[in-house]
Amino acid sequence: MSGPIDRTVMWLTWRQLFARRRLWLAIVFALAPLLFTLVFRVVGDDGPESRLAFFGGLDRDVVVGTLLPLAALLFGSTAFGGELDDGTLVYLLLKPVPRWKVLASKLVVAVLSTLAVVAPAVLLPWLVLGDSDVSGRTMLACLAGAAAGAAIYVAIFVALGLANRRALVIGLLYIIAFEGLLSRTVSGLRSFSVREFSLSLTKAAGAATIVSGDTVSTATVWWMGTIMLVGAVYWSFRRLVHYEVAERA
Amino acid sequence: MTTVAPAEQSGLADTSVPARAHVELRGVSRWYGNVVAVNNVSFTLGAGISGLLGPNGAGKTTVLHMLAGLLRPSAGDVLIGGEPAAGNPNVYRRLALVPEREAVHPFLTGREFVRMSARLQRLPDADAATARAIALVGLADAQDRKVGTYSKGMRQRIKIAGALVHDPPLLLLDEPFNGMDPRQRLQMMDLLRELAAAGRVVLISSHILEELDDLASNVLVMVAGRLAASGHFREIRRLMTDRPHTFTIRSSDDRRLATALLGDATVFGIEIAPAGLVVRTTDRGAMTRGLPRLARDAGIRLLEIRPTDESLESVFSYLVDR
Repeated sequence: MSGPIDRTVMWLTWRQLFARRRLWLAIVFALAPLLFTLVFRVVGDDGPESRLAFFGGLDRDVVVGTLLPLAALLFGSTAFGGELDDGTLVYLLLKPVPRWKVLASKLVVAVLSTLAVVAPAVLLPWLVLGDSDVSGRTMLACLAGAAAGAAIYVAIFVALGLANRRALVIGLLYIIAFEGLLSRTVSGLRSFSVREFSLSLTKAAGAATIVSGDTVSTATVWWMGTIMLVGAVYWSFRRLVHYEVAERA
Repeated sequence: MTTVAPAEQSGLADTSVPARAHVELRGVSRWYGNVVAVNNVSFTLGAGISGLLGPNGAGKTTVLHMLAGLLRPSAGDVLIGGEPAAGNPNVYRRLALVPEREAVHPFLTGREFVRMSARLQRLPDADAATARAIALVGLADAQDRKVGTYSKGMRQRIKIAGALVHDPPLLLLDEPFNGMDPRQRLQMMDLLRELAAAGRVVLISSHILEELDDLASNVLVMVAGRLAASGHFREIRRLMTDRPHTFTIRSSDDRRLATALLGDATVFGIEIAPAGLVVRTTDRGAMTRGLPRLARDAGIRLLEIRPTDESLESVFSYLVDR
């Protein structure tokens, strides 16, 4: 097959990303919002408005604010990270497959894996709450916003995984310090926050009922989001094409 | 530089090499910052097994990685079948490198690892090629176990199976005998001989001369990034055995022993040092056999005889300085 995606590289990446421990973590991430929703139904359900408010809080803070960046970090930084560490990347580089195809295949798998965690995290609570209080349109808007965020986050974390062996720690600090604190408190930094992009797109896609108030303008999201996405992918491409196996010390 | 055969033309070239597996290094250097890892190396490879010999850190792995296109030369040309190796994924259809690092994806089974290679090579019948390669390295019984459970020798063999799956005419192996027990080593040697007999060009790196015994007909010796010698294995072996040896000797009377040793025709240098006598000889065997008698006749008690230059580095650097 001669498209930009190599199926064998994708297969290998699936196997890498869902190796035992990560698979369990992914399942926990995907099901945690469902658990919260069940608890809410039992102890905190005060009618339609509270259900909408609950779903909004769940999407903004739990899914987009926490699970999305963590899942993207988990899969993005592992897409190359493990192979660089133990040297097994050479087995892909020593094959008649251009390096940009290796990168494209791994990016696609990491984004799909992140979506596989985020989609049930949005969909299952919505099914429990029922579509009379939270519209299907709202739920789809949340999915769309999360998908866009997944693409940008994964691009950033794949680049980070190619740049540094401690990508997981650095990425975690970035998520906590920048996405969690700085971009929320320093207004000038909001136009650099993937979380803000994701929420702005969720609102624009039709979920104004749960993402209210001031968000980054859609134009800013398109510009900055595209620049960050393309920039990170291009940087990874350069890095991989110029990657040289260092001689063992 | 010792040129058993002149390194410029290197004497290893052989007309029977298939053109697409023709290997040529022309004035190749590679440096990392200020450190020169490989310095102006030129050679071609003939059919059969060639050895790339040298102490650790001599630049062997750098040369192999440049041949495999994983590193770009800082200067000079690395050509595989007339094409540059670096940045050219198509060369991997005809060459394979078995890297020294042990790691193979531990979560794959042996069969999955080899089949992945076959599929990445776009082989028309990946399953058949996988079965053939696994049978060749004798791992059929363990092919469905996870590579993470393999022993060092098994991992080495599954790496070779993955490299051989597309039947490349050029095979590069970096220290393939590392971590193998003597039995595995013999099996590996048989396998490599078989591969070479089928007309392949095989290059094996090693830091142990004896490993290449009976295996490599041609040897390239690298020392400190330079090609120090190249030629037939036996020639290189003779050069290394015939080289001058240095001993440090402590005795009850170093000065009198020095006088006595001056009469020995094979001794060409004596130095009285604080650590004892430093004696240089051209014939190591005669020296070690004759010394006790010489000392006894002179009534001197020998306390210690220690060869001072037996490190591999000194053996190899002798070839450079000669």
